[in-house]
Amino acid sequence: SGAKPISHSQITRLYSRFTSLDKGENGTLSREDFQRIPELAINPLGDRIINAFFSEGEDQVNFRGFMRTLAHFRPIEDNEKSKDQNGPEPLNSRSNKLHFAFRLYDLDKDDKISRDELLQVLRMMVGVNISDEQLGSIADRTIQEADQDGDCAISFAEFVKVLEKVDVEQKMSIRFLH
Amino acid sequence: MKRMCLFLKFLCDAVHGGRGSYPDFFSLPRCHLPVRRSFHLYHKLPSIVPESCLLILVGLLLGGIIFGAEEKSPPVMNSDVFFLYLLPPIVLDAGYFMPTRLFFENFGTIFWYAVVGTLWNAIGIGISLFGICQISAFGLTDITLLQNLLFGSLISAVDPVAVLAVFENIHVNEQLYILVFGESLLNDAITVVLYNLFKSFCQMRTIQVIDIFAGIANFFIVGIGGVLIGILLGFVAAFTTRFTHKIRVIEPLFVFLYSYLSYITAEMFHLSGIMAITACAMTMNKYVEENVSQKSYTTIKYFMKMLSSVSETLIFIFMGVSTVGKNHEWNWAFVSFTLLFCLIWRALGVFVLTQIINVFRTIPLTFKDQFIIAYGGLRGAICFSLVFLLPPSVFPRKKLFITAVIVVIFFTVFIQGITIRPLVEFLDVKRSNKKQPAVSEEIYNRFFDHVKTGIEDVCGHWGHNFWRDKFKKFDNKYLRRLLIRENQPKSSIVSLYKKLEIKHAIEMAESGMISKVPSSVSLSEYHEGKIKPLSPTEMENMREILTKNLYQIRHRTMSYNRHSLAADANEKQAKEILIRRRHSLRESLRKTNSLSRERPAAANTKRFLSLPKNTKLPEKLRVRNKTSSRVGDSSDSEMDATTTVLNLRPRAGKILREQRLRQQRPPSEFSMEWKNEVDGSQNGQGEQQEPGSLPQPSIGFRQPLLTRPRFGTLSREDLTADHELARPVPPPRLVRQASQGERQRRYLKEYQKP
Repeated sequence: SGAKPISHSQITRLYSRFTSLDKGENGTLSREDFQRIPELAINPLGDRIINAFFSEGEDQVNFRGFMRTLAHFRPIEDNEKSKDQNGPEPLNSRSNKLHFAFRLYDLDKDDKISRDELLQVLRMMVGVNISDEQLGSIADRTIQEADQDGDCAISFAEFVKVLEKVDVEQKMSIRFLH
Repeated sequence: MKRMCLFLKFLCDAVHGGRGSYPDFFSLPRCHLPVRRSFHLYHKLPSIVPESCLLILVGLLLGGIIFGAEEKSPPVMNSDVFFLYLLPPIVLDAGYFMPTRLFFENFGTIFWYAVVGTLWNAIGIGISLFGICQISAFGLTDITLLQNLLFGSLISAVDPVAVLAVFENIHVNEQLYILVFGESLLNDAITVVLYNLFKSFCQMRTIQVIDIFAGIANFFIVGIGGVLIGILLGFVAAFTTRFTHKIRVIEPLFVFLYSYLSYITAEMFHLSGIMAITACAMTMNKYVEENVSQKSYTTIKYFMKMLSSVSETLIFIFMGVSTVGKNHEWNWAFVSFTLLFCLIWRALGVFVLTQIINVFRTIPLTFKDQFIIAYGGLRGAICFSLVFLLPPSVFPRKKLFITAVIVVIFFTVFIQGITIRPLVEFLDVKRSNKKQPAVSEEIYNRFFDHVKTGIEDVCGHWGHNFWRDKFKKFDNKYLRRLLIRENQPKSSIVSLYKKLEIKHAIEMAESGMISKVPSSVSLSEYHEGKIKPLSPTEMENMREILTKNLYQIRHRTMSYNRHSLAADANEKQAKEILIRRRHSLRESLRKTNSLSRERPAAANTKRFLSLPKNTKLPEKLRVRNKTSSRVGDSSDSEMDATTTVLNLRPRAGKILREQRLRQQRPPSEFSMEWKNEVDGSQNGQGEQQEPGSLPQPSIGFRQPLLTRPRFGTLSREDLTADHELARPVPPPRLVRQASQGERQRRYLKEYQKP
């Protein structure tokens, strides 16, 4: 849909990865299959990342869904940026990448990152040496920097605004998914 | 002499001290500004100037002192000393900590650069220098073509020692690092062959075509022979350590002995010692780690680092010392053209070769990568020693060569070493402009990095590789059985897990409650009120706190660092994360256990701190012996550490399970049964949601962890027609190797009820 399609060799590689993760050989992956990846287990955001693969209410993901999530991380080709403004936005556009990240924070899907949700993520990312009060004040500060409408939560628009100087395209791109 | 040694020691401490201990200085209170400032300077220095430069300067200083004091040339570094004693520890260290997976992934490229690149450089430099020598104005006409070729071959050797020393400063990505470093290791074989070839040619009267072919064949023999010796001795070492559990104290000795033996043996047969010791270290690494005790393992690691640090220091200092003296003959043309050609041919070579190899690579090398590879081709002590080995009878202009080599080395180490970092930074075109820094910036950056790493791990990054899988199968079937002693979970993470398990099991059994985790639950209080603006110092504090405490991104391969073992820090972080996840899962378990069945709708949104409300979790049914020791189990008894203790109460609710079986089940079966408490449409049946899939990291785990179920107190409910009870099935064995999945499946079959 306007974007350069993912190359055949990549799809093959990812499919073989998919099947190697799929221990039950039933063509879908469960959360367990993901948790079996050892590196993911010691990723602080491991559970959230795994969860991002599963759509609402599902606990299996097929290859299509797998690829769909991964497609968010394709690098944005420079010549794509100006191409095809009429078609649907590709999954790896900046906005969709940011949306993906936003959803990792926003568990209850109310389109807002509340202080609570932010604290949860912070706590996951941080060692044991930070006390709760310190963490709380860091979270407060984070919200304060982003919040513009004063609701003590970060909406998606505010999220985008805070990150406008951050090179999201590069940070959320995996080089070999070209 | 003694004075020199003491002085040396002092200087080494001064140079090294700047690296290692500076974090302590930051804790000084701010009033000690002058102290702090000087230490600031002190600590900045190693990051600007690579350590090798400092060491050479120290050497120069020493050489100058000796020369001045004793009015004669200082002791020149003996080539024997270098090749026999100083070089092996460094290469051993590098080979032992080499990320093998990455190395083999890029092996083709590394090989290509090492072999073809070095040949290109050697011949190119040799011929162009010969051309220069022909110009009679420079007074070099007596240097023959062969001598030039020989000189070219020894000057084109990229030196691992220098490369390592410089690359520590610049944080290149792992791939690039492995390319340059691997190339520097592998090109030793080429260098040795070419050097010996041309040297013998120089001494021969006539050269026939057959000799050239013999030379080519010699290369293969030297390289492959070295590798074979290394692998053989690596296996012997691994096999030896299988039987050393009674004599733990000398286990480290075997590691060092065998690797040095491989080096000496290879050198004895005129094969490539560097390749032998590298192959030995890489082979030994995997198996020895599993066989030796934890303490021996630590000893090996630290001792290796120590030896290599000492060697490196001595090498550079000796180089400095040897420079001062009367060994030189200066010739402007020769020296400057040598330098020029080295740079030009290196750049050309990298560029041309990359264009060719990019066709075959999945991840092509960018211009920045090429620049770093070309610019990072440093010459060092190997060239230096080789030039000293030239027989003066055949090479009347030996002193000229020495001078030229020294100039090239100094140039590459100093100029290129110092400037590579700013140039790399300059080439990073996309840089986020430094706006007013926000506290949250670090959080967001780190967040993105973790997400990216996680997704990369999901992708597996490298995918499947036919040869690697084959090797793994072979490895499992034969090698591991032969070389590894069973029954030894070594990692501290595993033992920590076991301890946690036992502790929780006992607690659960006794009181039904779990020990409270301080951090997670207390976050739930909502904090009303205005957020007050913060002063800059408070912001600064916050930022400092964050920088210190945010978890690091897990690097897939530990980037090699001469002076520290990154694995320790990462392991500590991994432990924390694992403990926290387990606790959060247990907390949620505790809360669900305390929910009675009559209140299915009591939504506890904070239950799973890391999962959203509607998560459907696979439920693992595991009932476990509280006393944790199971008689009659085979070697897996120790592995049961990760089963949770869940004594299900009789009216436990639906017990569901992930299917992992051969038989296919329609997907709808899975979707229907997982409702959380909020959804009351399931006939008011409460859920016993057990978070069971526990993370099973294999980093640090030596063996897969088996979770073996016991179906003691399992009870089931009858369900209505449209909810078919999924049969409880033992949890999948979380395995690292594919072959063990086979065993698992067979095992599952046994447990299925008919």
